[in-house]
Amino acid sequence: MGVPSGYTSAQVVQAVPTGINSALVLISSTTIGSAVASVTVSSAFSSTYDNYKIIVSGGVASTDSFLKLTLGATATGYYYFGVYGSANWGSTVSGDGAANTTFWSSGSASANSLNANIELIAPNLAKNTSYTTIYSNTRTGGTHIMYGGYLTDTTQYTAFTLTTNSGTITGGTIRVYGYANS
Amino acid sequence: MATYKVQIDDVVRDATPAEVAQIETRQAEVEAQAEAAEARAVARQAVLDRLGLTEQEAQLLLGS
Repeated sequence: MGVPSGYTSAQVVQAVPTGINSALVLISSTTIGSAVASVTVSSAFSSTYDNYKIIVSGGVASTDSFLKLTLGATATGYYYFGVYGSANWGSTVSGDGAANTTFWSSGSASANSLNANIELIAPNLAKNTSYTTIYSNTRTGGTHIMYGGYLTDTTQYTAFTLTTNSGTITGGTIRVYGYANS
Repeated sequence: MATYKVQIDDVVRDATPAEVAQIETRQAEVEAQAEAAEARAVARQAVLDRLGLTEQEAQLLLGS
């Protein structure tokens, strides 16, 4: 996007004057420690925002794996489905999913990067939470993945955890943004 | 029992036994899902073999 006339930057605004609502507001930024299996962000969701974006970037994993997303202490009732493919496969795609499982597949953890672009709908409302994610395993021949899913309970969550399926993760940042309700 | 480090916000500590159990339960579930997917792929290929179809022909016919 170009910078509009009269502006000096096209960056996301994190502080705005009173009376002006920013559409996407940075809530928290968590630096991932050294060789951890999971990271919990404990004050991510609140009644201030209905919907959220979580971006994971930077960092490395000790082995090729993926990141699992869970909300609060909930360990069941996660449903997801999606498609994945690889540049090496041409136009071929495969489907994948799981019903009533213990997590949402949500991000990539590879030896050269961590990445996830997660959207969460209504985690702090007394409604089913739903999610979508897009991520790419950045190793050679890695897959590119899009998932969507939902959680069967109506708990009002404030926290989430990202856990690597195997090995550990080091470095990188987990940023949580809220979408302004109005 | 394996050991893991977990991070809560900015604090890194050793996982509790309950947290270790939860991590390993989820790992086992992924392995089970992978095995189930492999079994489905083998069964699908067996059907295609009986019909004399390639995977590409099956996708053209069935859309998946």
